[in-house]
Amino acid sequence: MAAINTEFGKELKKYGAFDFNACYNCGNCTAVCSLSTEEDSFPREMVRFSVLGLEDDIRSSLKPWLCYYCGECSTHCPQEANPGELMMSLRRWLTTEYDWTKLSGLLYRSLPLTIIGFIIATLGVLVFSVLENFNLQSIMHIGHLFEIIAIAAVFGFILLPNIIRMWWMIILKPKIKVPLINYFTSFGELIIHMFTQKRSLGCDDNQLRWFEHFIIVIGYLGLLFTTVFLDWFSNDSLFVIVLGYVMSIIIFIVTIDFMSDRIKKQKEMSKYSQPSDWMFVVWLFLMGLTAFVVRLFIDTGLIEKNIWLYLFHLTILVQWALIIVPFGKWTHFLYRSFAMYFAKIKAV
Amino acid sequence: MNKKIGVYICHCGGNISDYVDVEKVKKSIEAEDGVFLAKTTLFACGDANQKEMVDDIKENELDGVVVASCSPKLHLLTFRAVTERAGLNKYNYVHANIREQASWAHSDDKPGATETAIRLVKAAVAKVRLAEPLYPFIINSKKAVAVIGGGIAGLRAAIELADMGCPVTLIEREHFIGGRVAQWDVLFTTNETGKEVVTKLYNEVIRHDNIRLLTGAEVISNTGSIGDFKMKIKVTPRYIKAKCNEGHLLKAIEVCPVDVPDEFNFNITNRKAIYHNFPSEYPQTPVIDIKNCTRCGECEKICPSVDFSQEEETIEINVGSVLMATGFDSYTPADGEFGYKQIENVVTLPQFKRIIDLNDKKLIYKGKEIKNIAYIYCVGSRQIDGDNKYCSRYCCTSVIYAAMQARHKFSDINNYHFNRGIRTYGKQEVLYAESLKGGDIYLQSYEDAPPVVEQNNDKITIRINDILTAKKEMSVEADLVVLVTGMVPRADNSVASLFKLPKGRDKFFNEIHMKLRPVETVIDGITICGACQGPKNIMESVNSALSAAIKSFSYVSKGELELEPIIAKIDKDLCTWCGACAEACPFDAIKMVKDEKKDIAAINNSVCKGCGMCLPVCPSNAINLIAYSDKEIESMIDALAG
Repeated sequence: MAAINTEFGKELKKYGAFDFNACYNCGNCTAVCSLSTEEDSFPREMVRFSVLGLEDDIRSSLKPWLCYYCGECSTHCPQEANPGELMMSLRRWLTTEYDWTKLSGLLYRSLPLTIIGFIIATLGVLVFSVLENFNLQSIMHIGHLFEIIAIAAVFGFILLPNIIRMWWMIILKPKIKVPLINYFTSFGELIIHMFTQKRSLGCDDNQLRWFEHFIIVIGYLGLLFTTVFLDWFSNDSLFVIVLGYVMSIIIFIVTIDFMSDRIKKQKEMSKYSQPSDWMFVVWLFLMGLTAFVVRLFIDTGLIEKNIWLYLFHLTILVQWALIIVPFGKWTHFLYRSFAMYFAKIKAV
Repeated sequence: MNKKIGVYICHCGGNISDYVDVEKVKKSIEAEDGVFLAKTTLFACGDANQKEMVDDIKENELDGVVVASCSPKLHLLTFRAVTERAGLNKYNYVHANIREQASWAHSDDKPGATETAIRLVKAAVAKVRLAEPLYPFIINSKKAVAVIGGGIAGLRAAIELADMGCPVTLIEREHFIGGRVAQWDVLFTTNETGKEVVTKLYNEVIRHDNIRLLTGAEVISNTGSIGDFKMKIKVTPRYIKAKCNEGHLLKAIEVCPVDVPDEFNFNITNRKAIYHNFPSEYPQTPVIDIKNCTRCGECEKICPSVDFSQEEETIEINVGSVLMATGFDSYTPADGEFGYKQIENVVTLPQFKRIIDLNDKKLIYKGKEIKNIAYIYCVGSRQIDGDNKYCSRYCCTSVIYAAMQARHKFSDINNYHFNRGIRTYGKQEVLYAESLKGGDIYLQSYEDAPPVVEQNNDKITIRINDILTAKKEMSVEADLVVLVTGMVPRADNSVASLFKLPKGRDKFFNEIHMKLRPVETVIDGITICGACQGPKNIMESVNSALSAAIKSFSYVSKGELELEPIIAKIDKDLCTWCGACAEACPFDAIKMVKDEKKDIAAINNSVCKGCGMCLPVCPSNAINLIAYSDKEIESMIDALAG
């Protein structure tokens, strides 16, 4: 027997959900959703759970991750209850539930705290630069080291435990019996979804958006690989230099389109932007752009006189790596693909 | 006397002629005795044919007309009007139904259909041969209307009648007018209070010279019928003189030792024997409830306006029409129905509305502050096994509005609606949307699995298998359970039996035709409106009140009434009064009268409907139905048997 908890709805509103209470359960949203199936039907069920505050049911559900926010449900909702944005907010809420540090929740719910975090990161970079006497060589060297350490630390201490928590909430706690072999046979699903977001092609007329998203993932991973493992800023190989340029260009060009969508607010999915959405896309854009310009300055010999440029890039990088990646919207990259993986494991 | 009869046989497009050989019908009856002309026509009801009929009748001086076409329900009146336009008495027209009774019924047997049609037309011709001109009865109709019930419908109807220049006696059983509406606080959609609405109407009622308002008044007898109802009304006094000092009065109320449940607050509070429902209620003079008064005399000592010498009186009135607006009772749940009377803090919707009205700032009931409220819908309505199959219409809107009011008036209220599907029809739908957006929770079940109310120690828990959440079992802890009770007919509807007013299966008063004659009853001269007819909200009650007012006025406006002449007729010589006819009459139209030497039956022309129920029971065959005499019917049978 489940008790109703109206407080949950109020909590959810802090994550961007609104008006979902207006739902009168007609089910049009589920009917128009091209990803909803008979076995996994949404979003009405999630709206209902949210209205009633059935936290446990939501926590153990993968459905929020099965939605790729085409926005058809919100367009067709006769009550204007915005099921699409509710699903988005549930993903934010789930992200915080998975996060053992609970910092995600703080940052999602409070813009001032997020800004403070960003300021601290900036100050950190400045202090570090002062300590290094603004020596470009050593700053760039340590900057590169930082990238490697940050990736390892964030993944090891935050993301990996969080994914284990997600697994616990979805499979272990609800006592779903899964044969061990499934974890291996379904592994391909994880890789496919992580790198292709194949499922989002199931949304109507989504080819362009899927393509943009696909190449930005490739661009991002490519740039990550180029800067971290190939040490782009210190590498003289022409191939590596060009590769870095291409990857960074991809990032800032595509993110310009994403940002303009959020400004124009014509598509349902980009009508409502939370600070976390803006930060994710803007920082991605800045990362691509600053990396591109830094390398350009290196190649034209201007970087020595413009050390501020690298410091700016480094600040963006630190904020990205320490705030947005572990506690921000970046995590959807992992949770979505793991959700598909867990779904497959459960289904097999 | 040999009549000149015209017969018209209709093709009805092909509805008749596709199966019935209309030309053959025409040929077979042309030779019938008295038939002067016989024609077939594509559409008898068409303008061209109607005009041709008028010309035929005038030119040939026809004195009997038959049209063989569709059902008389469709076009009897059409062709009666045609004969009237041609200057012929309309009762010289006889209708033969060869569509429903021949072509449609026997579409598989064309020769048979034709044969049936021929016999039907011959029978009609036989009847028209014997038809005589008839003229409506004219009776006097007293230009006055009695409105029974001083609630929203009765008040509005009385004002409307009075505005049209009709004297009205407005009879209210309680000592205060306004009925149920006076008990409600703020109303959807206008956001006025019930008191404000009633005040508006009361002010119009008292300024009207045409309205005589009787409170504490009850109809105790009625004789007479349409145009001439003679009613006796018992009026209970207030035992307080009209002009009284308010200070004295308040003290008098204070000293009164009697303590009885206050029906105005649906028994959630008590009142004294000397009382008014609320300070400005109308009429503003308070009342002594003489049934509960102990005559201790304490009030008399304080307030000089108290006057126990006032006496009950009986007033006789004479009106042409009666308008019934006696309203409804709220359904009283059975003991234990959703915990009613067994679990504390289970109340009905009307009680809840009074609780909201009576509380300020904090919502307190029985000393406990209320935060979580569960509403259980359709209590006493839409019963699968019970008597009340109907939906009470008003409750969904009413309870959602009350819940919102509670949320706005008091802080931290959580509303949980256990419903069976929300019916905030029409413009009221916006309220439902607003309630949802405001955070009210709606849980739904089917009628076969209603929510369960349980009490464990101090807590009331409501459980439901919510069909909106895949029948998941959900539970709510509530401080107050509101049973959303519907409308039922008045427990004491004895006034209806004085007028022999028929009731429907739902026990509300019945109209003649729900859609086409919604405020008339089979008792001529009596109209019904408001919730005595069935569940209605205020708007619907007032709508029906206005239409009943107009209908009642139409009975009395001219001072006389034309009544249908087709009624029963007693042969005084044959009648020996056995009473069988009076017993058979469903309209109470037959009474015994003394003739010169013996007792005989007499028909009340204004009440008889010509139904013919009295004819077969008469052992001496002393009753005939005008226009359906034995002679006429026998001649028709002969023609049909051919």
